[in-house]
Amino acid sequence: VSRAGTQEIVGELREILARATGREELLGTSDETPLFGAGVGLDSLSGVMLLREVRRRYGVDVAAEDLNLDALATLGTLAAFIKDRSS
Amino acid sequence: MMVKCVIWDLDNTLLSGVYLESGTQPPAADPAMLAVLRQLRARGIIHAIATKNPAEAARYAARVTGMEFAAAECGWGRKSDAVRRIIAELGLAADAAAFVDDDLYERAEVSLAVPEALVLSPEDMADAVGWPEFSPATVTAEAGRRGEMYAERRRRQEEARAFAGSRDEFLRYCGTRVTIAPAREEDAPRLHELSVRTHQFNTTGEAVAEAALRALIASPAHEVTAVRVSDRFGDDGLVGACIVDLGGGVWGHGVRGVPGEAECPPEASTERGQGEWTVTLLMMSCRAMGRGVIEALLAWLARSAARGGAHALAVPCLVTPRNVPLRLALAAAGFRAPETPELPSAEDVARYCRALSLTTLPALPGWSSAPGEP
Repeated sequence: VSRAGTQEIVGELREILARATGREELLGTSDETPLFGAGVGLDSLSGVMLLREVRRRYGVDVAAEDLNLDALATLGTLAAFIKDRSS
Repeated sequence: MMVKCVIWDLDNTLLSGVYLESGTQPPAADPAMLAVLRQLRARGIIHAIATKNPAEAARYAARVTGMEFAAAECGWGRKSDAVRRIIAELGLAADAAAFVDDDLYERAEVSLAVPEALVLSPEDMADAVGWPEFSPATVTAEAGRRGEMYAERRRRQEEARAFAGSRDEFLRYCGTRVTIAPAREEDAPRLHELSVRTHQFNTTGEAVAEAALRALIASPAHEVTAVRVSDRFGDDGLVGACIVDLGGGVWGHGVRGVPGEAECPPEASTERGQGEWTVTLLMMSCRAMGRGVIEALLAWLARSAARGGAHALAVPCLVTPRNVPLRLALAAAGFRAPETPELPSAEDVARYCRALSLTTLPALPGWSSAPGEP
């Protein structure tokens, strides 16, 4: 994990997101697509699954460190957050 | 911590023998455990099965006990994995689960791997029905139907997995109806129950007594709102509520001195209570998660507050690992808490806030109906 680049993490997160939501089309989510709101529509259920998988795979507990969950703005911000803490 | 679900072993626990070693006549239900099952069901506690047996053993157990089990894990893997999968499937917190097994080794394995769960032998379980963990103060209509509602939920989830489309499309396909309405006095027992039982979606983590709820419902300075949800799979009844302090209230976290508390937006500080609505309690059953309920409630709150002349809506919320789902919903609805130099340690209160303007009101989801909405 420590050597993975941000883009590599984005790719992994994309797969996690598609699996958490059961929506294959989310494999096409760019690293700048907003996760909240129309489009991806991240909600409590899919959000919890995403955070749980992030903690399991990267050992990063986003909810414990990010009061406003700003890291979840896009896959790019989430990957950067993870990379910051796991390198 | 109240137990919401008891996860049962079958062989020599719920059944008075070993299922696969009984030839043509499988063992009967254990009479003592059957009595426990029925008693707990009447209190709104649900049941599940974790057994090292083929899947037909769970169907047999359902038939011979006459019970509907909310989940069943059959197979030869670790019991702790089965327990974890059941907890996840039912959307429970691990400390809301109890596990009953006659085998000392299985109990040890589960206690080690899922330390939050209450692990009991069948003998302990017979006693435990009298423990506070298994004794809700009141049993509401929702609690009495809980086993069925979990079965409805399982059918809903099976269809959701097979459904191609977004969550909103699925909610419409299900005929989801979210009904927001002022709470009535007769809702007080269920509201009390929600205040005790909800953790993943609860801003205060404090139980509110029925009498206090009746007073709040009657109070002109407060607005207590109840949310119900139903769809073609079933009616879940009253699943959530919020209490709004319409100004200068005397109750709840919203008026306590919160460390580092800041008004939002900052210039509002002079007219607190005038221009800002404070939600002193927001709670929802985790069963309603993923069904558009919390989104509808937050959107309606913002719309009502804005129409009531408020320029901000504040939701003081305890920051704990348990209510991350609620923080996700708040973030998705555009709420933010002032950043503090230090991260809030567990059990601090953060004041999540959303600025309001009549021109940028959030839309109320199409599956909801609410006062003041067409």
